[in-house]
Amino acid sequence: MSLSNILDNLSRFRQDAESERYGHHDYEHRFGMAIDLDICIGCNACSTACYAENNLPVVGKDYFEQGQAMHWMRIERYWDDEELEHPERGASFIPMMCQQCGAATCEPVCPVAATYHTPDGLNAQVYNRCIGSRYCSNNCPFRVRYFNFWSFYESSWPEPLNQQLNPDLSVRDKGVMEKCTFCIQRIRVAKDSAAREERNMIDGDVITACAQACPTNAIVFGDTMDPTSQVSLAWKKHEVKRGPYTHKEAKSDEEIRGYRVFDELNVDPSVMYLERVRDSEV
Amino acid sequence: MSQVIQDKVIDENLKWSKINHDLIRTMETPGKMWWTAVLVCVAMVACAVAAEIYQYKYGLGSVGLNNPHMWDMYIATFVFWIGMSHAGTLLSAILHIIHAQWRKPIYRFAEAMTTFSLMTAGFFPMIHLGRVWNLYWVLPYVSDRGIWPNFRSPLVWDAFAISTYLSASALFLVIGMIPDMAVLRDHTKGWRKKVYGLMALGWRGDDRQWRNFRRTYMLMACFLIPLAISVHSIVSSDFAMSIMPGWHITSFPPYFVAGALYSGCAAIMTLFVVLRYFYRWEDYMTKNIMEKTCKLTFAIAMVWTYLNLIEFSSVWYGHNVYDKELLIDKATGPYAAVFWTMIICGMVAPFGLVFQSWRRHMPTMFVMSIVLQISMFTERWMIVAPTLSMSHAPHQWDILWGSVIEWAIVFGSFGWFSLLFLLFCKFLPAISTYEVKELCFHLKHEIEEEKREAEQKAKNTSAAGSQQPVSGSPGLEGA
Amino acid sequence: MVQVIAGSVISSLTLTVVENIHRMKMMKGVKVNRRSFLKMLGWGGAGTALAGCDMPTTVTLEEGKEEVVSYLSPEEYVIPGVGVWYASTCTQCDAGCGLHGRVREGRALKLEGNPDSPLNNGKSCMMGQSGVQTHYNPDRVTSPMMRKGNSLQAVSWDEAMAELGKQVSSVSGDRFAFVSGSLSGHQSVLTSELLSKVGSKNHFAYETINTSIWQAVSKDLLGDAMPVIRYDKAGVILSFGADFLATWMSPVHNAGEYAKFRQGERGVLVQVEPKMTLTGGNADLWVPAAPGTEGVLALGIANIIVSRGWNKVDVPASVKTELAQYDLNKVEKITGIQGSKIKRIASLLSERGPALVLAGESTVGQAKGYEAASAVMLLNIIMGSVGTTIEPSVSFPENALAAKQGNTSSLKAFAQGLSDSKYDVVFFYNSNPIYSAPEALGVESGLDKVKFKVALTMFPDETALKADLVLPLNSAIEDWGTHVAAYQGGSATMSLQQPLMEPLYKETKGFGDIMIALLSKLDEGYKQFPDYYAYLRTSVKNMPAELTGGALASDESFWNGLLQKGVLKTTGVTGSLTATLAVAKVGTPTDHLDQTSLTLIPSARLGLWDGRHANIPWLQEAPDQISKVVWDSWAEMHPHTAAEMNLKNGDIVKIESKSGSIETQVAITKAIHRGAISVPMGQGHKEYGRYAKQTGANSLSILDPVFDHKTGELATHATQVKVSKTRKNQILIKMGGSDVQMGRSFVRTVSADQLRRTEGGA
Repeated sequence: MSLSNILDNLSRFRQDAESERYGHHDYEHRFGMAIDLDICIGCNACSTACYAENNLPVVGKDYFEQGQAMHWMRIERYWDDEELEHPERGASFIPMMCQQCGAATCEPVCPVAATYHTPDGLNAQVYNRCIGSRYCSNNCPFRVRYFNFWSFYESSWPEPLNQQLNPDLSVRDKGVMEKCTFCIQRIRVAKDSAAREERNMIDGDVITACAQACPTNAIVFGDTMDPTSQVSLAWKKHEVKRGPYTHKEAKSDEEIRGYRVFDELNVDPSVMYLERVRDSEV
Repeated sequence: MSQVIQDKVIDENLKWSKINHDLIRTMETPGKMWWTAVLVCVAMVACAVAAEIYQYKYGLGSVGLNNPHMWDMYIATFVFWIGMSHAGTLLSAILHIIHAQWRKPIYRFAEAMTTFSLMTAGFFPMIHLGRVWNLYWVLPYVSDRGIWPNFRSPLVWDAFAISTYLSASALFLVIGMIPDMAVLRDHTKGWRKKVYGLMALGWRGDDRQWRNFRRTYMLMACFLIPLAISVHSIVSSDFAMSIMPGWHITSFPPYFVAGALYSGCAAIMTLFVVLRYFYRWEDYMTKNIMEKTCKLTFAIAMVWTYLNLIEFSSVWYGHNVYDKELLIDKATGPYAAVFWTMIICGMVAPFGLVFQSWRRHMPTMFVMSIVLQISMFTERWMIVAPTLSMSHAPHQWDILWGSVIEWAIVFGSFGWFSLLFLLFCKFLPAISTYEVKELCFHLKHEIEEEKREAEQKAKNTSAAGSQQPVSGSPGLEGA
Repeated sequence: MVQVIAGSVISSLTLTVVENIHRMKMMKGVKVNRRSFLKMLGWGGAGTALAGCDMPTTVTLEEGKEEVVSYLSPEEYVIPGVGVWYASTCTQCDAGCGLHGRVREGRALKLEGNPDSPLNNGKSCMMGQSGVQTHYNPDRVTSPMMRKGNSLQAVSWDEAMAELGKQVSSVSGDRFAFVSGSLSGHQSVLTSELLSKVGSKNHFAYETINTSIWQAVSKDLLGDAMPVIRYDKAGVILSFGADFLATWMSPVHNAGEYAKFRQGERGVLVQVEPKMTLTGGNADLWVPAAPGTEGVLALGIANIIVSRGWNKVDVPASVKTELAQYDLNKVEKITGIQGSKIKRIASLLSERGPALVLAGESTVGQAKGYEAASAVMLLNIIMGSVGTTIEPSVSFPENALAAKQGNTSSLKAFAQGLSDSKYDVVFFYNSNPIYSAPEALGVESGLDKVKFKVALTMFPDETALKADLVLPLNSAIEDWGTHVAAYQGGSATMSLQQPLMEPLYKETKGFGDIMIALLSKLDEGYKQFPDYYAYLRTSVKNMPAELTGGALASDESFWNGLLQKGVLKTTGVTGSLTATLAVAKVGTPTDHLDQTSLTLIPSARLGLWDGRHANIPWLQEAPDQISKVVWDSWAEMHPHTAAEMNLKNGDIVKIESKSGSIETQVAITKAIHRGAISVPMGQGHKEYGRYAKQTGANSLSILDPVFDHKTGELATHATQVKVSKTRKNQILIKMGGSDVQMGRSFVRTVSADQLRRTEGGA
């Protein structure tokens, strides 16, 4: 690598860092989500669909107690009115899964590059390559990476429950990290089909298990690089842009609902949430 | 205040034959004490091995780790041992190049301590891996698939730094022992003679050999100093390079290095007292040297305290919510007891070193050194665990006290270190005899020089008719 | 919606050797003869446009030559490595949502909602998703069992059916009883046929979670038992304990409608209930009324509305005077809700209309539940909801296929019959009264008096293990059926349930198959049907044109279309609404509330439901939506109540009613009224497989036998309990470390005003 090469790369990196294409990747797609917390009812359908789609092990009572559960998609429930005698304004639900950050903190720390950025804009986790240093999870502000602390497969799927396992993806053994993949197996199939039909992928070709299941359609999934996709339109409508927080232009109206969790950490998450709405008059 | 005592680093009139004898005495057939100590250590290691076998078989869940706590005591203990390794370098290399003579009787075991604590520390990144059988993937070996480790990861830097430091400090130890090996070669029989002969590398002690030896030694010392500093800086980047509150702190590299030297000095004090007591080495490990070690420790403790306070105050005034909240949680939350142990043992206790009577009282110093080490151990713990317990995502907040498996391995690591050290004491010279001899020689030389100067002066003054008494050399009353 | 999702082994997620070997082991279990399976399916593939095939790598790893799928001559529609989606119907609860099931290499892998179903529009809930775990459950009954001596022993089907035929043909009509859950479609037809052939009228359709009081009140006050509820049209929903997002009527359908209610012109949801349900968690205002006082509150609100003239429908003076006795002070005192809040609710109903007021279990599960529901319905009437947010019902035109909904009054009747020793032969299908009936009803002991008990079941549940004959059923994924949901939100649809794969076990049979076999012993006419499929096929062929929408049902393409779509949409029969204004004499707490005791709330959960899903590991591991507790029972208590008794999270308490006691751990939450203690139903099975057994406590078992005086429904929320501390405690296992956001902006909140400014709306 010559010096000029390094300088070129650096200037390109600087340029990208300031543009919407934050990061230094040549993306084909950038899959993302828009989750409307106002219509998310916290019913767990997405979470269970994820268990069904992604061969997530049921860890059982004891391991759950130890905090070793493997729910890639979890519904966090918060109480916001601590000072009141009763939570009069309801609970706050948020489906939390890997945010597939554009500038993911998990990626640079993996010693063996088992987690890396794909041209689809995903933080891929290569189970085969993972040696289980768990640094990625430590460095994840969302805490959405799950580690196979045990050989869960030995007890999670007693015969014939194992026949339900999705053959499109593997069953993970102890010692590897795993996390939400945005249903990469579905993305691959959709991409392959599109390629075979000699066309570009279109919005709706692929939908994640959680978005598919959601009874209220609170989760919208799609390619944020496709300007006509539903998710792009939602991002645009709610004035959430890719890129680092530091380069963010102010929204035209502060009250526009779109936001990304931990945007201020400059991790460039691919999931936009829409603020929960509560009627203040009641 | 008690009367200020002054004594010499070492009695310059020690006979060289006595030095040789005293050294070889410790390496004779071991007694009951030694065997008991070895047995205890082996038992401790056995605990750890059993725990590790269990963990290997069933997975890291047995360590009690969970989603927020992906790391825990293993990493804390790793940092602790790495830190301890810095003392040897400090004594043998840094003090060597600044010509601090008092280091000479004690640097050898400090250097051995460096190597052994690195050998202990090295285990922890391995056993804490989920798939330890793939450990070699962190090394940039030539793979036919063209797969390389991720050079951006501090864990890869760790692998380089620690292996380099381990090999360099082991080499330094072995090189420094060459003249002593020759002594041992000449005083032993049988297989020992052969081994020592091999390690002596044909040392005859002629001028050319001494000259080359000095040069090599100095070169190695100069090489080792930046290495030692970089190693702990790199270990600190395991934390500082992350974005976690309580880890992502600019002052971490110097803070870690200071902490490392601190814990290393404390460890030297412990071993100093132990060796002096069991080997009756009062002639070499004098109270004077202990005093100097204590002063050095105190200085380092103050640096560490300063850096610690800097960290706290920058967090406090920085108003980063996550960091500040973590600091408050550390001080008042479930880990408060551990946190305050660290503060009291690490920031307050070293002020005991100010008193000369304490410094010269060996049992007190033994207790003091243990207190300081407790502080250093809890410091590492307080770096690793609370950040993970109370990080950005409150949904995943949790407290972890570790499982039996984890503590067994941590416990076993102390056994492993002690075992290595016990073996070292029996097979290799724990005191550098040639440097002690050198020290005596120098002292004697200096005293003679002084005497001669004094006599010269006396002659001159008597010639001038003055009756002023001659100010003598420092008192020899010693212990 | 992607109808066909083909799969391949993803190269970036390849397997380790260990994992590969494990997968090989796992696939050994597959014993599916695909050729016959596909023959059975016929043209059943939903959208069989197969999206190419990626070369599979692990397909031929199965053991046994004859089961290896050849790459060279694959079965029709079976492309190794490619999943095909078939339409079917979900039977996890009685809402009857349409499903698509993904089948690959003969295994059903994943269930998703059927987008053609007007009920769920392609969506599903957690229970629907876990239908595969009901199907592949490791604790299924795999062969018929007959009681010999004291134990159940495996017997052959011939022996079982011979015994069954003997018992059924010899029993006299009135001594035969059939206990089931909600039934509809042709299963219901066959059940009625069986009962009529035996000459019995004793069909007890029993569901713990039901809406029968709401329906009874609708029927009496609106003239229509199942009016269509238009959440989407409402501007304000005031729900008295109706957990419509999780357990009320048709949760997936309701959730979809709820989303529409929230979007656009955003509606306001006010939930009144003593213990926060999932719907309560989503409310703009959650009002913890004292248990059992919701009826008073409803009338109090009505009084405010009427006295201020906010009513949209004329109210006669007699009603006004009757309402006037529910003045604000009195209502405030009884319900424990601030008067200002009550006024606000009343003004919301008038300002934000169209209003919709619902009554759910915590309101109607009282001794005077009918009156409470009537009071709620009064609000609907005076706010003019009838006709706007409550629309006339649309019912399926074929009455025989319509749903026979389960309720708890039938349980009462059945229990009465048992104690009177009225029955000699009892069939249990899809119901487990020994678990879910309160112990005070004495179902378990009453069953001893029944000579011959038959359990048609998939699982060794409490009732099955008491039975004399256990007939193992196919799972929903292996069986045929038709379903007509009781509540369809305005559509009239029959949903077809078709097998997605061959039965896992040789010795299980479909419910319909058993019915046909039994009926052919009683009636020669049924001998023409070799199995239920044949019967169903014939029935569909003979469907009248008004059901098929003019299509010729006898045409093969009609059947194929039905298989592909999974649903048959017809023009329903629209009912009519006529509102009757009357002020009910609602119960007040003095009727039943003891000052020193707490009211037990056996709340229903989306997940374990009434306990029937306690054997599904996914649902056991899915945290409760509100408390986030997993894998166990828990007793929710208000911090204030807990502090009075010096209780902390995880302490085991003894909960004692007049009818029994249970012990479970305390989970302290503010989302409950001070005077209530809530132990969700679903746990505490004594049997029912490895995941359900000995997990938690069964709160249904200690309910007092109090019944609504009008409908005879079990008053589930009318049990008073004494709570005492035991010395035991355990760690409360729940998801989530912190219940508050600690200043983080995970969930940000804006006010509805701001939303209106930025995104339009009213």
